[in-house]
Amino acid sequence: MKTYTKRNLLPKKSITVFAIIIMVIAFMSFGLKNKSTIITARVENIGKDSIESVAAFMEVYKVLLSPRCMNCHPSGDVPLQGDDSQLHNSLPKRGKDGKGIYAMKCSNCHQSTNLEGLHKPPGHPNWHLPPANMKMVFQGRTPSQLAKQLVNPKTNGNKSLQQLIKHADDGLVKAGWNPGEGRTVPPLSHEAFKKAWITWIEKGAYAPKSK
Amino acid sequence: MISFTWLSAFRPGDKTIDNGLTEQWIEINGYIKITPENIIKILNPNPEFGQNVMTSLPMIIAEELDADWQKVVVEMGPHDSVKLGPQFAGGSNSVRMYWKPLREAGAAARQMLMEAAAQAWTVPIEEVTTKDGKLYHEKTGKSGTYGSFASKAASIPVPKGVKLKDVKNFNVVRNSKKNVEGLKIVSGKPLFGLDYKHEGMLIAMIEHPPGFGMKLKSFDASETLKMPGIKDVFVQKLYEEGFEQGGFDTRTFNDLLVVVGNTTWQVMTARKKLKLAWEPAGETKNTMSGRDGKREVIVPGELESTDAQLKKMQEYAKKPAQQLRKDGDPETAFKNAAQVIERTYNAPFLAHNCMEPMNFFAHVTDEKAMLVGPLQAPGWTKPTLSKLLNMPADKIEIQMTRMGGGFGLRAYGHYLFEAALISKKVKAPVKLVYTREDDMTYGIYRPMYTATYRAALDANKNLIAFHVKGGGIPEHAIHANRFPAGAVDNYLAEGWQIPSNITIGAFRAPGSNFNAAAEQSFLDELAEAMGKDPIDFRLELLQRAKENPIGKNNDYNVDRYAGVLKLVKEKSGWNKPENKKYSRGVAAYFCHNSYAAHVVDMIMKDGQPYVERVFSVIDCGIVINPDAAANMVEGAVVDGIGNAFYGGLTHKDGVVEQNNFNRYRMIRMYEAPKKIDVHFVQNDIDPTGLGEPPFPPVFAAVANALYKTVGKRVYAQPFMSQLTALRGF
Amino acid sequence: MITLNVNKKIYNVDVDPDTPLLWVIRDTLGLVGTKYGCGVAQCGACVVHMNGEAVFSCVTKVSTAAGQKVVTIEGLSEKNDHPLQKAWLELDVPQCGYCQAGQIMSAAILLKENKAPTDEDIDAAMSGNLCRCGTYLRIRKAIHLAAEIQRKGGKSQ
Repeated sequence: MKTYTKRNLLPKKSITVFAIIIMVIAFMSFGLKNKSTIITARVENIGKDSIESVAAFMEVYKVLLSPRCMNCHPSGDVPLQGDDSQLHNSLPKRGKDGKGIYAMKCSNCHQSTNLEGLHKPPGHPNWHLPPANMKMVFQGRTPSQLAKQLVNPKTNGNKSLQQLIKHADDGLVKAGWNPGEGRTVPPLSHEAFKKAWITWIEKGAYAPKSK
Repeated sequence: MISFTWLSAFRPGDKTIDNGLTEQWIEINGYIKITPENIIKILNPNPEFGQNVMTSLPMIIAEELDADWQKVVVEMGPHDSVKLGPQFAGGSNSVRMYWKPLREAGAAARQMLMEAAAQAWTVPIEEVTTKDGKLYHEKTGKSGTYGSFASKAASIPVPKGVKLKDVKNFNVVRNSKKNVEGLKIVSGKPLFGLDYKHEGMLIAMIEHPPGFGMKLKSFDASETLKMPGIKDVFVQKLYEEGFEQGGFDTRTFNDLLVVVGNTTWQVMTARKKLKLAWEPAGETKNTMSGRDGKREVIVPGELESTDAQLKKMQEYAKKPAQQLRKDGDPETAFKNAAQVIERTYNAPFLAHNCMEPMNFFAHVTDEKAMLVGPLQAPGWTKPTLSKLLNMPADKIEIQMTRMGGGFGLRAYGHYLFEAALISKKVKAPVKLVYTREDDMTYGIYRPMYTATYRAALDANKNLIAFHVKGGGIPEHAIHANRFPAGAVDNYLAEGWQIPSNITIGAFRAPGSNFNAAAEQSFLDELAEAMGKDPIDFRLELLQRAKENPIGKNNDYNVDRYAGVLKLVKEKSGWNKPENKKYSRGVAAYFCHNSYAAHVVDMIMKDGQPYVERVFSVIDCGIVINPDAAANMVEGAVVDGIGNAFYGGLTHKDGVVEQNNFNRYRMIRMYEAPKKIDVHFVQNDIDPTGLGEPPFPPVFAAVANALYKTVGKRVYAQPFMSQLTALRGF
Repeated sequence: MITLNVNKKIYNVDVDPDTPLLWVIRDTLGLVGTKYGCGVAQCGACVVHMNGEAVFSCVTKVSTAAGQKVVTIEGLSEKNDHPLQKAWLELDVPQCGYCQAGQIMSAAILLKENKAPTDEDIDAAMSGNLCRCGTYLRIRKAIHLAAEIQRKGGKSQ
């Protein structure tokens, strides 16, 4: 951002330059609003770096589109299953609150912890999909789409920026790194993921360009 | 089959239906007991696995006995082949083989009761009539219940050659009756082998090798033995070297690593702590007994993989094979053909996947043995049990529980033998339990099959020659004398096989379950090539087989075969415009003495091929229990769709790659059709069989419908391997 | 020692707390209506009710069930006259019967939460229950019939 100094008297030339500068700033702000995302909380101007932010997001993207995360952020109303992200066996449905329906609610099979042995359902006390009115779909999202979705409270589960940062340590998120026998972990360690996540956000939560 | 000295029946598990009724049963014959209060108990002689013989066989007796079905109680009979016949459930034979004997038993008992009344009333027996469990003498107005004459009847000699009812006058048979165990099933009463309990019973499980062609090298059970509730870990041989096996003595593994403990969960957990080393077993030998004396069969040692098996089958398909049937001069006909159509079909090993995993209870002492559990053929296990336990057969008692599915797998007795030997070794009553993983990986599968069909057409698109060359691991599926043999001038059927250490066994309609799939798909394609309607094409061939049959031993009745096709054409509204929205596939088949035809109506639903409706026509002669019979056909259709779409096992270096239902996909509620319209051809032919016949043609009907739905023919099962649309779980 | 409340009876069982509820119900309590089919929550033969929800008892530890209200098929109704049981008998649903207790227990939750289920609702609720004999069409019909019986004032839980 350009800095500018105030002048005592504003001669015509200065006003023109001033106006031009303001217009440029306006255009740049407008441009920022388009290419980047709307950030609800104030981010310090210092430290914003679109390149580093986007690079960090591409690492985040790898994790979010890996089976351990994507399987519970499906595009349809049936979770996905396995390292090959097939539709979940028996087709349990999302339901209104994301916790399943009737005799196929998530917690009917998924216990509060993993179980010993192959093919047993993995576990966590709060096993669920995003609710029907806030699906938070990862499957099929491009990096650009996903980044914008994640930062917008209307599509990210009403999360503020701070909450978004904290989400990296959410129990169910962390469960992705403790998936139980026969399932692979995400391509980055949780530590590396968290670092990339925070970097992405703190460096401006920029979205990669849509292709 | 009729005797007076036999005592009350066994009671597997909990109390029987007659709980609360008097114990004063008077036995009229091996099947029928009556109380003075006129409650009639009828024994079901044949093992029950969902084919509902528990209801239908007693119905046959009740009919000729002229009992009031409402007052009849039914109990599972003990294993007693002298009194109760062959007692083998398989080959769709239960009703067929018991039809006449049970009618005679019922009629004879009625005769004895009439004689008893005639004597008591001092009237001629010709003047005595019966109705719904009561006897009448019209002239004098005398009457009495069966119960009041039971004692007297029991002492009257059993008459032979008693006249049977006219089948058109049946009151019980040919009427729908409710499942006699329905209430027990829906209220959770102990019924199945896995439910059986015995005082002091231990649980045993076997740690099988991880794959076919492997054997135990060494094991360390020190951690296992420390686990709570564990009694013992040992290796038990099943058969000694050179033991002569019968056809149903099939076993996959001979050295059994057994874990015995107090409860199921304790043994399941303790097993996991075993430290095991396995090694290839190499080539082994089975000694098989036979009519011409014993023979040795080599079992290959190779650790097999599906990819390699498929390649090998392709090689063998090109080699000369065993000729099974030849009519006319097929070679010349093919040479001179204007057009030759050739197609190859494949299908994988299938697991039976009975809902109740394998299990059996055994209590073996020095003097006797009692075995309780789910099995299809107690008679076939007795000789082997006798040999293995070194005990006379009459000291071995087998109680048949209800089976949670059979499908052919429970005709093989290895798990009885295993349970018995384990009980003998630990000197305690033992229930042997297979986990689902044990069950699915044990073997005795439906074989892996292939078949190449060739048809020769002349310049006018007439069918002038037909050739089927089928192979399999370890046996082929070809029934050479079945349709269209007999309808084609020049016909050749050949078969070949590749031995394997993967064990196989009977699976619902053995051979037919693939033969029909391939043949009926091929006929569909032929019809298309000839520009004919698929049903009309088959009817034309059948007409030919009727007017001018080729060859001998044509194993089907033309009229009955054509009959089911014609009726399914009618019932499905085959050409009706309102059915155009469906992709329709048809197939028909004859096996196990009955005829079946299906029209499958398929649509795309949520991006996936879905069978929405099926029209099924069966000719199985007289239908004992119409609603239950319809249930059976519906089940066979659902079973067929599921296996056609998804069923199959693959191997890698001897190890089965599917060991539970998350990997071995089964058809579920959301994939089941909305409607299955079942029709039975009405005739008075003695019952022929229903368990298997509806099953084989389903595969091809589905394949033929798929062709219309997705525009592509599928030649390999499971069909989901050919269509991504079917794959997303 | 774990205290269980099963079908309104209190039991004190001395078992490893990690034992699946299924095996405690079957082996320790002797209630064998609930079945073992796969052990990995893939077949539904083991479904029981816990605090009014369906649970797959083969993967539910008995410690989870401690002090909770558990209902098995044996306790679904006092006189085996739950609308589902009535409907099952009316339409002669079972073939081998092994899966049916689990089917009924799953269906009971459906009917508790949805008094007039559509075919789609039934598919969604029941696809966790396998039937090897293929009685799905009858199960569907029986659930519709049970809903009707329930609407007309038949007993249910």
